[in-house]
Amino acid sequence: MSDRPDDPKNNRGKGFSRRDFLKTSAVTGAIAGAGPTVFTRNAWAEREAIGNYPVKGKAVTFGFNVPQTGAYADEGADELRAYKLAVKHLNNGGGMLETMAPNELTGQGVLGKKVEYVSGDTQTDPDAARTSARRMIERDKVIMWGGGSSSATAIAQQYLAQEMGVVYMCGLTHSNDTTGKDRRRYGFRHFFNAYMSGKALGPVLADAYGTDRRAYHLTADYTWGHTQYDSIKQFTEAEGWTTVNNIMTPLGSSDYSQFLTQVLNSDADVLVLNHYGQDMVNSLTQAVQFGMRDMQKNGKDMQIVVPLYSRLMAQGAGAENIDGVFGSTAWNWALEDEGSQAFTKTFEAEYGFPPSQAAQTCYVQTLLYADACERAGTFYPPEVIKALEDHRITGIGPGEAHYRKGDHQCFKDMLVVQGKGPAEKEGEYDLLKIYQQVPREDVTYPVDTFPGKLGPYRPA
Amino acid sequence: MSNAVFLQLLTGLQLGAIYMLIALGLTLIFGTLGVVNFAHGALFMLGAYLGVIIAGETGFLLAILLVPPLLFLIGLLLERGIIQHFYDRPHTDQILVTFGIAIVVQEALKWIFGANNIPFPTPSWGSGVVMLHEYLPFLDGIVVYPQWRLILVVVSLVTVLALFGLLQFTRFGLVVRAGMRDSEILRFLGINIERRFAIVFGLGAGIAGIAGLFGGPVTQVYPGIGMAYLVPSFLVVVIGGMGSVPGAVLAALLLGMALSFSAEYSNIQQIIIYLIAVIVLLVRPRGLLGKKGVLE
Repeated sequence: MSDRPDDPKNNRGKGFSRRDFLKTSAVTGAIAGAGPTVFTRNAWAEREAIGNYPVKGKAVTFGFNVPQTGAYADEGADELRAYKLAVKHLNNGGGMLETMAPNELTGQGVLGKKVEYVSGDTQTDPDAARTSARRMIERDKVIMWGGGSSSATAIAQQYLAQEMGVVYMCGLTHSNDTTGKDRRRYGFRHFFNAYMSGKALGPVLADAYGTDRRAYHLTADYTWGHTQYDSIKQFTEAEGWTTVNNIMTPLGSSDYSQFLTQVLNSDADVLVLNHYGQDMVNSLTQAVQFGMRDMQKNGKDMQIVVPLYSRLMAQGAGAENIDGVFGSTAWNWALEDEGSQAFTKTFEAEYGFPPSQAAQTCYVQTLLYADACERAGTFYPPEVIKALEDHRITGIGPGEAHYRKGDHQCFKDMLVVQGKGPAEKEGEYDLLKIYQQVPREDVTYPVDTFPGKLGPYRPA
Repeated sequence: MSNAVFLQLLTGLQLGAIYMLIALGLTLIFGTLGVVNFAHGALFMLGAYLGVIIAGETGFLLAILLVPPLLFLIGLLLERGIIQHFYDRPHTDQILVTFGIAIVVQEALKWIFGANNIPFPTPSWGSGVVMLHEYLPFLDGIVVYPQWRLILVVVSLVTVLALFGLLQFTRFGLVVRAGMRDSEILRFLGINIERRFAIVFGLGAGIAGIAGLFGGPVTQVYPGIGMAYLVPSFLVVVIGGMGSVPGAVLAALLLGMALSFSAEYSNIQQIIIYLIAVIVLLVRPRGLLGKKGVLE
């Protein structure tokens, strides 16, 4: 779906937009000695302080809270690269600013203010993430913050966002709870979730491996792992699979041999690894060392499935280990749509290698927040939130993306991918083959699938 | 014996072997020098990083020849530069300084190599699985196990025996054991105890290097591995009895077996090693084979 000409917010190509009007007004106002606030929407709101609103000074500060230590540290490093690039583009133009539609960003900061940023370390730990975020809010006066690569940290930070009245744009978080039971008015998620992964993967797995499979799950023992296990179990059992057993493994385990021995001792012919980051690298590598990719069980070749994949993990595990392994991702740098390419090219030019899905979601979230401020004409959080809710946008990845008002989940196309073996890959970063691009409509679910309440626009 | 029980025993043994290798250096340093070395995980990590680099450049066999001596050297430098000044200081000071060293090493490695995992492929002569059913007639059907993990068990046992032999049957070992009892008398006898203490710290670091090198292909190489193994290794030392080599072996095997046999019960699995530590310390406050006098 392309640009929506019927969208009243989309003034591009209409000669004289609301922005142009505002800019002219501001200049006129300044000359006349009166501030431009009189022309902005909801001028009544300009007087009410929420979180770090109103923004004082010539610059506005964003906070980027990413895991710099812990099992997901490599994701965090890539997120921070993407955030720095987003700030660069917001201040100077370039990247997806040239492909987003509708787009109110000018490449000259946000609402006339230069964007600055501070960064923090979530340590892949909810308490540390909250402490770090609180410091950014209270000490650095961030108007918004984003980042993280663990649903436990995302959920903890969403609650903090609601409490403090500062918008939090989630980083990489895949648990159903983030926009399910733990959804929050002040939190937004652009990334997909475990339910969507299950819905997309179920039919593909049944098609590739048959419908009479017996699956053994190893699951990271926290919110994300739990919801992913539930979703993958639900959608594979719907295809006729049997779930033999599931073991919850501690986050950040370095040796999985005792769990893999249990898998060996069972009659399962599929191993599902509900692990991410370093955990997945370890468990997959060790499963391969245990011979699970060359084994026959129940007269079938044993298979390994990694429901949530990432290029960074694939790199860490090595091409030999991921060869042919199915999983799902939100995004991949090989996508050829205009937005993805604009991001990939600028990221590569800046850092010398392609971005990960963690980088893409963080970059996009930052731009979407900034664009919402421009569309709202203010940093006042309730108005920015309203500008994001039910917003439809193209040019930030394949197809159209839609932020659902009811749960703040973004719906867009997602990918089922397969690991490339050493013979198939063309270069260091070419590790995942796009097996299927799953349309947004196929993974959209009713808003009441997961019960939850967003909470008020104005924090109590 | 059923296949399932046999595999769990084997897994317990090899888990214990990794803990044993790491705890060995820890208990040696503590027993001899009285230093609580929280940098031991960082030394293990250094072994893994040096291992993956040297093995990548020159092959694994040369890494076996180079990594332990390099870690020995690093241990010597560490002891002479920092640790020796803390022998007579309280344990809290030792913990603080060694933990500081651990953080510096971890951050330096992250700064040099990044936070990403570095794949550490198993050397070709140790990769693949062993068809255990071909060698063990009591097994029923096909039973396989990763060859590298079996090699790890052998390496651990050889290292334990070598260290035990060194301490028990050589003049160096005799002096070190005497130093553990009463270093002042040794000084009166004109024996250079400082030099031997530095060598002991180097030995502990060298064993951590062996653990890092052989453990690397199992755990892969990333900045968190040092800390991941530090706590279980300390528990092994505490449960076994501070400073006791046989105690560390026994405790490592006990923990390995406990982890292996409780794997299916997620909730118990995550607290089992602490539960064992509590029970052992309640019944035997000095650990399984701890000697009177240490920390008393």
